[in-house]
Amino acid sequence: MDSENSMDTSAQEDASLVDQTKDVIEQSTASEETSPELGEVIIETRSLSKVYRDFWGRPKVNAVKALDLEVRRGEIFGLLGPNGSGKSTTIKMLLGLLFPTGGKALVFGKDATDVSKNERIGYLPEESYLYKFLNAEETLDFYGRLFNMSSARRRSRAADLIKRMDLEWAKRRQLKEYSKGMTRRIGLAQALINDPELILLDEPTTGLDPIGTREMKDLIINLRDQGKTVLMCSHLLADVQDVCDRIAILHQGELKELGRVDDLLQVQDVTQIQARGLSSAAEKEILEVIARDQGELVEIEHPTATLEELFLNIVRESEAEAGAEKRSMSGIESGDKE
Amino acid sequence: MIVDPSEFVSFSTWFSGAIAGFAFNVLILMIAWLVLWYAFTVLRHGPTEAILIIARAVTDFFLVDGPNTSPRRIGAMARLAVKESLRRRVVVVFAVFVIILLFAGWMLDTENDHPSRLYLGFVLTMSNYLVLALAMFLSAFSLPTDIENRTIYTITTKPVRPMEIFWGRVLGFVIVGTVLLVVMGLVSSVFVYRGLYHTHEVDAASLQTDSQLARQTGETTHDSHHRHDFFIDDDSTSDDGTIGTTDPLVKEHRHMVTRHDDGTIEIGHPQDQLRARVPVYGKLSFISREGNLEERGLNVGKEWSYRSYIEGGVSQSAAIWTFSDVTAEQFPEGLPLELDIRVFRTSKGDIESQIRGEIILMNPNPDPQVDPRKTRSTPLPFRATEFAATEEFIDLEDIKYQDVDGQLQKLNLFEDLVDDDGNLQLLIRCVEHAQFFGMAQADVYLKARETSFWMNYAKCYVGIWLQMVLVVLFGVFFSTFLTGIVALQATLATLVLGMFGGFIADIQSGEVAGGGPIESLARVESQEGVTTDLDIGEGAALIDRAFMAAMGYVADVVPKYPEFNTVRKVAYGYDIRGSILARHLLITLGYFLVLSVMGYFILKTREFAA
Repeated sequence: MDSENSMDTSAQEDASLVDQTKDVIEQSTASEETSPELGEVIIETRSLSKVYRDFWGRPKVNAVKALDLEVRRGEIFGLLGPNGSGKSTTIKMLLGLLFPTGGKALVFGKDATDVSKNERIGYLPEESYLYKFLNAEETLDFYGRLFNMSSARRRSRAADLIKRMDLEWAKRRQLKEYSKGMTRRIGLAQALINDPELILLDEPTTGLDPIGTREMKDLIINLRDQGKTVLMCSHLLADVQDVCDRIAILHQGELKELGRVDDLLQVQDVTQIQARGLSSAAEKEILEVIARDQGELVEIEHPTATLEELFLNIVRESEAEAGAEKRSMSGIESGDKE
Repeated sequence: MIVDPSEFVSFSTWFSGAIAGFAFNVLILMIAWLVLWYAFTVLRHGPTEAILIIARAVTDFFLVDGPNTSPRRIGAMARLAVKESLRRRVVVVFAVFVIILLFAGWMLDTENDHPSRLYLGFVLTMSNYLVLALAMFLSAFSLPTDIENRTIYTITTKPVRPMEIFWGRVLGFVIVGTVLLVVMGLVSSVFVYRGLYHTHEVDAASLQTDSQLARQTGETTHDSHHRHDFFIDDDSTSDDGTIGTTDPLVKEHRHMVTRHDDGTIEIGHPQDQLRARVPVYGKLSFISREGNLEERGLNVGKEWSYRSYIEGGVSQSAAIWTFSDVTAEQFPEGLPLELDIRVFRTSKGDIESQIRGEIILMNPNPDPQVDPRKTRSTPLPFRATEFAATEEFIDLEDIKYQDVDGQLQKLNLFEDLVDDDGNLQLLIRCVEHAQFFGMAQADVYLKARETSFWMNYAKCYVGIWLQMVLVVLFGVFFSTFLTGIVALQATLATLVLGMFGGFIADIQSGEVAGGGPIESLARVESQEGVTTDLDIGEGAALIDRAFMAAMGYVADVVPKYPEFNTVRKVAYGYDIRGSILARHLLITLGYFLVLSVMGYFILKTREFAA
C-alpha cells in the first residue's frame, strides 16, 4: 500500500511537475507574443556618434561610436556599461543636452534636438539637479508650469506625486534639507510631473540605501506596468538585471551586446530545477535520473537568499515589531484610561 | 544746466535717423553673426550640413519656437529668477541704501547754497548706481550658475524654448530691480522732503514798520543754516490775514509769511525748492563782430566747446534765439525768461558786480510794408549772474519802440514782433567793453509752465529703470555663452563703454587730441605734447585708425547710459520731456529685440552638457 501510495504520490508529483513546466512554457510563449519588441519604436539611434573635442576643435574622446538602438513602447531598456562607456552621453544626446557629431537620434520619430518631444518625456538626471532653495511643492509647481499645466492640474499632480514618493511630511522643507534618498524621490517626482510616456533615468539607484533601491526598482517596474517606456542607464548590474526587459552593453562607446536580459543570461546547456519540500529520497531519485540520462551533475545544494532579501526581511520584521509594540503600548494606555 | 544738443532734435527727425542707424547696425551684426556661425559649424559638420543646420535653426525661430512661446513658462522662469535673487540676499542692497541715507548727514554739505540739487543729486545718483550694480551681478551669474550646477538639465529637458529661458531671466531680474527701485524711490522722496523741509520763527527784534510804504519788514530766525528777510504789505490780504513773503531767494526757496489778525506772524513752509520747469528752447545763432550771421560765436580759448561767446561793448557781436509757437494764449502777460549765461572777463573790474547785458525782441520775418522800427523793441537791460540762472520777466507793457521823434511807443508783442508762423527772435548783447557772454542753446529759454515735481521725480526713476533693464539684458545675454565672472566683466565693459561713449567718439573724431594707442604710446615715450604733430609712420597710423574705428563702432553700438540719466534735470528743476522718455524707451526696446534674438540663437545652438 505504502509502495502504491508512494508510486501514486510520485506519479502525481511528476504530473504536477509536467503541468508546471507546461505553465512556464505557456507563460514564456505568451510573454514572447506580447513582447515589447513588437511595439512602436519610441527611441531610435542610427549610427549615433559623439566625439568630444578640445578648445581648438581637435578630437579628444570618441564617447559614442556608431550606435544603433531601438527602444520600443512599454519596455524597460537598460544601458549598461562601466564608467566612461558612453551611457550618459547617449542619454544626453537623446535629450538634446548634447548634439551628435554623427548619425541620428530620434525620439518619438522626431530629432532629439526638437524641444516639442520633451512634452512626452520625463528625465531623472544622475544627480538630482534641482533648485535647493525651493521646497517640494514649489519644485513640482515650477516644473509643472514648464509643461504649461493649469494651476488645478499642477496642484493635484504635485499632491499625488508627493504622496506616492512618501514626502508629504517634508513637502514644505527646502530641498537643501533633504537626504540623498529624498532628493532622488523628489527628482523622480519632477520627472513624472507631466505623466510622461517615456522616462529616461540616469543611474536611478545611485546613492540610495537598499530600501530606497528596492522602492525605486519597484517604481520603475510599476511604470512599465502602466504602459510607459523606461530607458535607464546604470553600472549596477543587479539593478539592471532586476528590472530591465532588454539591455545594451556599451564599452568604450561601442555596443557590445544587445538583447533580452533572460536570453542573454540564459546558460543553454545547464538545467536548473528549484523545488520546495523534497525529501532526501526524492533528491536521491533525481540524482539517479540524472545519472541514468548521462547528465553531468554540476551542483546540488540548498540555495541562499541574497543579501538584499535578508536585509529587507530584517528591516520589515523590525518595522512590524515596532508597529506591534506601538499598538500594544497604545492598548495599555487606553486600558489604563479605562 | 548742460543739455545734450541731441535733445533739441524733434522726435520725428530723431526717429527716422535712429531707425536707419538701427537697421544698419542690425545688418552688420547679422552678417558678422552668420559668417562666424557658419565658420564654426563648418568645422564640426562640413559645409553642406552647416547650411542645413543654420537654415533649420532660423526656420525653428520663426515657425516653431516663436509661435510656441508660452507666457506661463516665461512667468515660471521669472518667478524662479525672483526667488533666486531673494536667496542671494538682494535685500542687502536695500539695507546698504538705507544705511547710507541714515548717515548721509555726515557726507552732505548741508550749508550748500543749492540744497535741493544736493539732496536730489545724491539720492538719485545713489539709487542709479546701486540698482545698476545689483542688476549686473544678478543677471551675469544666474545662467552660468544653473549651467555649473546642472540645474539647467532639468529645464532644457522640458518643453522650454530658448527664448523663454532668456525672457524669463530678464523679466525676473527686472521685477526684482523694479520693486527695489520703487522702494528706493519712496524712501528717497521721504529723505528729500524731510531734508529740505524746515520752517522759521520771526526774529521779533528785527520787526520794523514803514508807515509810508504800508509795509512791515523783518528777519526770520537762523534755522537750517540760513535766515530770510521778509516783508508784509498791508494791502495784501487773504482769509488767513495779511500775507507777505521772504525776499530774496535764499538757498533756492522762499516762504510765505502770514500776519494774523491778532498780530502774530507765521512763516510758512519752503516754496519753489522742488520745481519742474518746462522750458521752451529756441534755435541759437550768432552775429559776428563784423555783423555776419554765424552758427557759432567766438572761442575764448576754452577747451570745452559746449558754449561759444559774444564780445561786449561796441562790437556788433550778439546771440540770437528764434522761438517757435509764441502765442498770446501761452504767454498772456509777458515772456518769462530764464538766462543761464556764463561770463568771461578780460578785465577784472568790480568782481562783485554783475555784467550788464540787453535783450532786444525782433520779428524774424517782418512785413516790408511795416516801419522797420516797429519790428524791433528797444533794448531791455538785464544783469548776468555768473554760475546761476537769472529769471527775467518781460512784461507786455515794457515792450516799446522809438518812433521817428525819438519817443517811446508801445509795441504789441504778438502782432508786431511775432511773425505769421508764431516765431519770435530774441537778441542778446553784452554791453560792457572787454567782457564776454558765453552761451549754448539751452542757456536761454522761455518758461512756459511748471509741472508736478514728484511726477518729474518719477520720470527720472523711469530713466534709471530703463538703464537697469539694459544692464539686465546685457548681463543675461553675456551669461548665455560666458561663465559668470567673465559675463560680469563683459557687462561692466558695456556699461563703462556706454558711460564714456561720448569721450571715445571725441577721441575718434580727433576732438580729443593725442591719437590712437600707438601714437599715444609714442607720445608717452617721447614725452611729446598731445597738440604737437607726431610722425609715427604710415603703418602705425593705419593700425591706429583701424583700432579707433573699431572702438568708435563698439562705442556706437553699446547704449549711451548718460543719455538715460536725467538726474541733473530733476536736481536743477527742469521737466523731463515725454518725447525724451519715449526715445529712451524705444532705444531700450531696440536692444531688447536684438539681444533677445542673439541670446535665442546662442542658447539654441549651445550644448548644455558639454
